[in-house]
Amino acid sequence: MTTATRLAVLDPTVEPIPAHAVVAQRPDTLDGKVIGLLANGKRNSVELLEAISDVLADRYEFKAIMARNKGNASRPCPPPLAEEMAAECDVIITSSGD
Amino acid sequence: MTNLTSRILEFDDASQVIEDYFGRGWTDGLPIVPPTQDLVREFLDAAHRSPSDVIGAEPTKGRVITAEKVAVNAVMAGCRPEYFPVVATAVEAMCEPEFNLHAITASTMGAAVLMVVGGPVVSEIGINSGVSVFGPGHRANATIGRAIRLVIINATGSSSGEIDKATLGHPGKYTWCMAEDTNVSPWEPLHVERGLSENESAVTIFAALSGIQVANHESESPRDILNSFRDGMFAIGARHGELNIVLCPEHIGHFRAAGWTKNQVKQTLFELAQRTEAEWRAEGQVLPESDDSSQMISTASKPENINVLVAGGAAGAFSSIIPLWTAGNGTRSVTKRIQF
Repeated sequence: MTTATRLAVLDPTVEPIPAHAVVAQRPDTLDGKVIGLLANGKRNSVELLEAISDVLADRYEFKAIMARNKGNASRPCPPPLAEEMAAECDVIITSSGD
Repeated sequence: MTNLTSRILEFDDASQVIEDYFGRGWTDGLPIVPPTQDLVREFLDAAHRSPSDVIGAEPTKGRVITAEKVAVNAVMAGCRPEYFPVVATAVEAMCEPEFNLHAITASTMGAAVLMVVGGPVVSEIGINSGVSVFGPGHRANATIGRAIRLVIINATGSSSGEIDKATLGHPGKYTWCMAEDTNVSPWEPLHVERGLSENESAVTIFAALSGIQVANHESESPRDILNSFRDGMFAIGARHGELNIVLCPEHIGHFRAAGWTKNQVKQTLFELAQRTEAEWRAEGQVLPESDDSSQMISTASKPENINVLVAGGAAGAFSSIIPLWTAGNGTRSVTKRIQF
């Protein structure tokens, strides 16, 4: 019996390094919370966040809203802005609006 | 024996490999060369790279790209081993933060990676700078550019329809690799302009949109030739942070005869491609509010933002404007010396 030679080839893909991100703890309620709204820089992103904020405002009484726009959809959020919002907000809602 | 760590898959023959890799989404839609361990080792040896050498990283999607993975994709693309130093250097360049690799390969704007190679390597491995410089037929051009796209798909995770959401894209996304014609050009090539010597080989990468061909078979004065670029420049918009023009040999002959410098080309084109803020707005250009709608605004933010390349066949007065992703404001081209 002849054993056929198999053709061995290599996988060209690269797996992502394991994420270190931890899912943020969810609050029980948004009453009395500071809500961050972070638009991604595209024009519809702001409208989307405003619509979401309006829906949530019907159900909850926020302490405050902090609306910001990272200004450039093609770059990560600038660290100073991320730090500012993280320091002030209890939850942050982001959007991608094209 | 060079130690490779990529997962090994086994098949009965090459046609099975080709079909399987298609099915897994590991290709650009064209058949690939089965990447055997021997071929991958040959490529790594040609560039004096170890498999585990880190060529670069794409942090947004958390990918670390090793020499081994670049070599696997270069084999698949149909490269020869002696092309691998160019491919590896181009991947290093792509991973520089200012290029903005993730964004340009995910964006609806649909950019390709245009590679311009310069220096001795061009003739050593036969990169075309002449007839049909953007077209098929030259193995080095075809496969080096293709290797970059396969790296983007497989090593950075930007595959078409998934992360890559280009609305249209363009054919340069399959492959787009060229050299400048230094025999025809009266000027220093791009990599020398950027500080390297003529004896050094280098690759420059751009996140490039499809080119606009500019035809002018009538004019002989450089200014008149550049004037025919005007409409194409207006079409790509205002205040570009970087853009390319490619001048063909027939046009170059007139610039050479008139003794023009590259800087004269940039300055003149900058001036010709100007119109008032009001005129830009009337054509739909979005501009920040200002008090002076009569101010003149050019397609380029500054003359030096225009890169002037020289390439193409000897016959035919067809040059090109190649705009970059986000008008060259969200990405910067990167030039790197090729390591051998």
